[in-house]
Amino acid sequence: MYEERWLRWGAGLLLFLILVFHLFPIFWMVNTSLMTQLEAATGSLFPRVPQWGNYLDIWRVLPFFHYLKNSFLVCSLTTVFALAVATFAGYALARFRFPGAELFGGSVLVTQVIPGILFLIPIYIMYIYVQNWARSALGLEVRLVGSYGGLVFTYTAFFVPLSIWILRGFFASIPKELEEAAMVDGATPFQAFYRVILPLALPGLAATAVYIFLTAWDELLFAQVLTNEATATIPVGIRNFVGNYQNRYDLVMAAATVATLPVLVLFFFVQRQLIQGLTAGAVKG
Amino acid sequence: MRTFWRRYGLAYLFIAPALFGMLLVHYGPMVQGIYMSFLDLRLQTLRLYLQAPFVGLENYREILLNPESTFRAGFLYAVRTTLLYALAVNVLSLSLGLLVAHLLNRPLFLRGLWRSLFLLPWVVPSYVVGLLWGFMWLKEGVVNHLLADVLGLLSEKPHWLIGPLTFVAIVVPTVWRGWPFVMVTYLAALQTVPQELYEAAKVDGASPWQRFRHVTWPMLRPVTAVLLLYGLLGTLYSFNIVYMMFGTGRATPGSGGTFS
Repeated sequence: MYEERWLRWGAGLLLFLILVFHLFPIFWMVNTSLMTQLEAATGSLFPRVPQWGNYLDIWRVLPFFHYLKNSFLVCSLTTVFALAVATFAGYALARFRFPGAELFGGSVLVTQVIPGILFLIPIYIMYIYVQNWARSALGLEVRLVGSYGGLVFTYTAFFVPLSIWILRGFFASIPKELEEAAMVDGATPFQAFYRVILPLALPGLAATAVYIFLTAWDELLFAQVLTNEATATIPVGIRNFVGNYQNRYDLVMAAATVATLPVLVLFFFVQRQLIQGLTAGAVKG
Repeated sequence: MRTFWRRYGLAYLFIAPALFGMLLVHYGPMVQGIYMSFLDLRLQTLRLYLQAPFVGLENYREILLNPESTFRAGFLYAVRTTLLYALAVNVLSLSLGLLVAHLLNRPLFLRGLWRSLFLLPWVVPSYVVGLLWGFMWLKEGVVNHLLADVLGLLSEKPHWLIGPLTFVAIVVPTVWRGWPFVMVTYLAALQTVPQELYEAAKVDGASPWQRFRHVTWPMLRPVTAVLLLYGLLGTLYSFNIVYMMFGTGRATPGSGGTFS
């Protein structure tokens, strides 16, 4: 298609230039995180001496470890629950024929079209009501607002629909004959799913798990409303910090770098499966 | 009835948890939210919740038709900005994604690595994107430094976070984070186009543009539709980038910035 030699070199050069500009902001984030407060505020190009101490200061000046721990806790639990729920539903959509399957599949997709802001306030008020009701009617202290449980529950429900859709694609790509053979050998449908298909779908499950984790890690709107001081996740914590210390760009960028690192590492582990899972829906139409 | 459950029971059992979550966190609150839009629900009546006074379409009249309403002015302004933002972001992301996908869809040394490097910004959390660009857009920030001092394209340094340029300030970071995914999807789609079609077109004397127009594009159209849908949902409902870039609750685009 592109036979001329100069065209190939030209395209390579163009790609390289785009890439340099494209990655510059990330470089700038790390670069700034190593500056002194003054260097960052006055627009220096490079830190005279790399301030590795900034990465220690973020644990002291803002309780970053606390936020990091909360984010890890909430995102890991969400990933485990959402993956479990979505695996069953995705498998059912890929394999079982049952009355209402189309309706269920459609309503899974419709959830993606509803703007979060439409149910943010109802969810908040609903949670408060459930708390009050549990206290007065059952005498139970159920905490949905400001607790890990409320946030994990909300996130789980949030990320299940798209995960179902991704997993459905992975399950559909596994030959049906494998379950049929297992059932001929006397396995029940559940055993066929559990023993035969699930192990084969592991790469897809891993990719979906990472997708859930990435998305949960990035959530700010609901975290802002459903957490308190004790349960604040990284985005909430960083935002409060920015509000209070407007001129500590050096520390903000160090915190931003640390917040990016875990998802970057996770991404590189399952990059191929994740891209395959996310683009398959679009490419196959 | 027994045969019904024997036949479909497992399927319903498998979808039950997902259905429960969707009803409780998506559809239930959505219905409540829509119902609340017909109520006079304000701070004083919040305690009444769904028993608050029913006012019919009054709220809709207020934000759409009442010319004196400040809500209406703010709402319509926000709607207009959001639509323009969604349009600009998606046009730019799709074009850039398509271009780079073409450049990458060829024999290239370490192509997988190129693709990964281009994808990096897509993995950066969007709140970090907002913070980072809010910092880079500062009047004495690195963007102005590069444009004015290094490249000499601007004679004086503009305020990116105040006034009309705020639109640019929110579009660029959103495109920056969004287009890599478009590129990867287009790349995957390009690889499904049969090579024979290009060979045949070349034999028939089709120019590169004609080959794109009549061979590649028809194959990419369905993908483009899906990407546009994802992109529109992502931008019309986007929150984090703008929220992190502007203000600590005090400022909105146009009136200041986090770091100003």
